[in-house]
Amino acid sequence: MRYNALFGLGLALMVVALYLVFIYAPTEKTMGDTQRIFYFHVAIAWVAFLAFFVVFVCSILYLWKRAIKWDIIARSSAGLGVLFTTLVLITGPIWARPAWGVWWTWDPRLTATLVLWFTYIAYLLVRSYAVEESRGARFAAVLGIVAFVNVPIVYLSIHLWQTHHPPELVSDLGTSMLVTLLVSIAAFTVLYILLLVRSISLVKMEMQIKRLAQEDARLNPRKE
Amino acid sequence: MDNLNYLFAAYTVIWVAVFGYVFFLHLKHRRLQRQIELLEAEKDKQQTN
Amino acid sequence: MKDYVKIIAIVWKDIISEIRSKEIGGSVLVFCLLVVVIFNFAFQSDEAAIGLVAPGILWVSFTFAGVLGLNHIFAAEKENSCLEGLMLCPVERHVIYWGKLIGSLIFMLVVEAIITPIFLALYNLPILLPGLALIIVLATLGFVSVGTLFSAMAANTRAREIMLPVLFLPIVIPVIIAAVKATGLILDGEPWGELWTWLQIIIAFDVIFLVISALVFEFVIEE
Repeated sequence: MRYNALFGLGLALMVVALYLVFIYAPTEKTMGDTQRIFYFHVAIAWVAFLAFFVVFVCSILYLWKRAIKWDIIARSSAGLGVLFTTLVLITGPIWARPAWGVWWTWDPRLTATLVLWFTYIAYLLVRSYAVEESRGARFAAVLGIVAFVNVPIVYLSIHLWQTHHPPELVSDLGTSMLVTLLVSIAAFTVLYILLLVRSISLVKMEMQIKRLAQEDARLNPRKE
Repeated sequence: MDNLNYLFAAYTVIWVAVFGYVFFLHLKHRRLQRQIELLEAEKDKQQTN
Repeated sequence: MKDYVKIIAIVWKDIISEIRSKEIGGSVLVFCLLVVVIFNFAFQSDEAAIGLVAPGILWVSFTFAGVLGLNHIFAAEKENSCLEGLMLCPVERHVIYWGKLIGSLIFMLVVEAIITPIFLALYNLPILLPGLALIIVLATLGFVSVGTLFSAMAANTRAREIMLPVLFLPIVIPVIIAAVKATGLILDGEPWGELWTWLQIIIAFDVIFLVISALVFEFVIEE
């Protein structure tokens, strides 16, 4: 029941966000209408970062409490994080090209997102290459903590490195733009939560299957 | 204005990705659900034997 | 037994076994040198360009050599089940971390001490630079702080040779950025101002990740 309510909210927010992005928000002076990519691009980036934060918190909780539910949330959030981060990395260049004439700029935000992307991938890899699941969970948790702590350092170092390169991208926003951005962020946050809940329930189903299969194998040893 | 092509491309990518992922989750749900039903049917069969 | 005695024992054990087997030291050295030389051919022999990319070449070669060396820290332990033996000893887990860390730090510093003068000579750069030594020591400390942690992790994973760089490289990007920048400044003979900013980043990284790695290390090697 609560899920359906959340789904309705998410859908409503998304429709409102789309209206705001395409109709309500004013056309930007220098970049024209392509600037409208910005709203969803930033909203997705924010949610990707949120997902990573969730991974960070759940990693700590998992190593501390050893309750499997923390690991389930962490791994689901990480999967979503990869998805959203990939989207940021795709929409970024699509926006940059008409706006600044280049596909890629090594600006702190985009570059830090790229590094984040690599770390997420490493997080998922360390799970699938682990010798056993519990180990994979532990290793991933450690990585989740180390990587998140690293984020501000990465951002700072790229920012300092940047001083000779094209300046940072975002100018100040008028109120209507701000509203559009906030609603977009809210819409994607709800989307993230919905997808997270779904992913978690899928993981639980997988675990249930494993349990059932094990019981089955135990009760009926196959006579090969 | 061909700049709108970029706008279109960006939003298309987002929607395709999000819907694609939702669809992927849906398929996975169906597959897992079927497996659970199979296994539970097996279990019931074993228990009645 | 005091903790530092145990740490020294672990370091000594590693040094002895490395000297006896000569397993990896020589090859890492040669590899490092090869990378330096190959990069020279990768860039056209333009004097000015070389000056710009030289710091990058140095640190890329150190990074690659570092990955090889780091792989080794726990690979041998894993293969000979020494790690289990080590864990049966009544030592706290972070002691093992410090021991392994110092061992690999020494290893890397030796390699770097040999390669750096050769590198500077090959590129016709001034050889006696105490500032450069400082940068190298601090940055290497950053490398091995997380490298030791991830080496232990990768050793317990399938495809360990590729897992280590995949885990390790994204995390040490700030160190690489700062080290390359700082090295460039030193080689250009720049004054201290900007250099200090970069050193601060490396030092901050070192402190933060030494502490964190030491704390989480036990979770990585527990059975």
